[in-house]
Amino acid sequence: MIEKTINFSRRIFVEKTATAVAGLSIAPGVFLNQVAQAKPADQAVTSDVRWGMLIDTNKCATGCTACVSACNEENGIQSHNRPATDQVWIRKVKLRDKQTGHVTSLPMMCQHCEHPPCVDVCPTGASMKREDGIVLVDKHICIGCRYCMMACPYKARSFAHETVTDPKEYAPRGKGTVEACTLCVHRVDEGGTPACVEACNAAEHGAMIFGDLKDPNSEISKELEKHGGKQIRADLNLNTGVRYQGI
Amino acid sequence: MLQLKQLMHKSLLMVIGSALLALSTAVYADGDKASFMPDIPEPKDESLKCVQPEDEMKKNHMEYILHQRDKTLREGVRTKQYSLKECINCHVEKNSTARFGDDKHFCSSCHNYAGVTIDCFQCHADRPSSNNKHSQSTSSFPHYADNSVEGASK
Ligand code: SF4
Repeated sequence: MIEKTINFSRRIFVEKTATAVAGLSIAPGVFLNQVAQAKPADQAVTSDVRWGMLIDTNKCATGCTACVSACNEENGIQSHNRPATDQVWIRKVKLRDKQTGHVTSLPMMCQHCEHPPCVDVCPTGASMKREDGIVLVDKHICIGCRYCMMACPYKARSFAHETVTDPKEYAPRGKGTVEACTLCVHRVDEGGTPACVEACNAAEHGAMIFGDLKDPNSEISKELEKHGGKQIRADLNLNTGVRYQGI
Repeated sequence: MLQLKQLMHKSLLMVIGSALLALSTAVYADGDKASFMPDIPEPKDESLKCVQPEDEMKKNHMEYILHQRDKTLREGVRTKQYSLKECINCHVEKNSTARFGDDKHFCSSCHNYAGVTIDCFQCHADRPSSNNKHSQSTSSFPHYADNSVEGASK
């Protein structure tokens, strides 16, 4: 099943490359430049890229929450000391194999599915997927019905129950809407890396790789090709953008 | 009889009219601008032009922002020209104590006056943050100075 979905996106990539190569003969260098740099601010994102993440659970340290803290800091998420209803964009999950006693630790967040169930169920169109694969909530039109929270198999979305004071200017958040990991879209659009990945590298764990799944030369694609990466709940056929190794 | 009634009517109107006139001149003479007009804070740097002529912005700023909001969220277009973030960068001081809702906040000064409720700032920051990447001082493209710099089309 995993093989099948991966092959699917690879086929799309092959088609795109064919176009790109055809384009090259007319306008040399144009496509190459676009891949390497951040897109110009006035251009819309395209499906020529698909952002994804690869998490090596063997490198992810049990007890380390660098990615979680970085995400909270970056996106201005404050706890109200009510764990049941506090917003969670990324959380650490610990799995223990009863047979062997092996403990796996991994960060869990929005998996940025190719076929996101949250988008399917949203009655207003607020839950949406950008062309480049990033799944977002358009809080301007979200009515806070929370259908998407129920539809998500990864428990990735949370509801803002409280008034937000001093939101970050690049990460607007407000009471009465649903929110989730944005893959740090404000950074990505400027050619940057999500805050969690940066923090994981800074903590010298290097368990997270962020990159373009459609670019065969990106670090993430090379690593996926070499060692593979699993989807969580691959049986749902969602073709997630976030993949895991070692599970 | 009818004539007398009409005459009385006329003089009554005249009395009311002159009373109103006297009242209005009194207020103007008083120079109390705040009682009639909102006291809108000036932008940080008055030498910079707004992204559109002032009259146009007064009437249609919401159209520009609305259009930009969908482009940014859904398509990742991040030009600064009609971005709400940039309005705030130019019109509100960093770490200003005037928050949205106060008469001294640029947006509220007029919205309070006109009695028009907006919910932009239930989610968006109502003042620039101190580590602002796009602030006037660090930006290499001060779009406010020249309308043609970035993302000129609406
Ligand atoms: S909570 Fe908002 S985003 Fe989620 S399904 Fe309802 S309207 Fe859509």
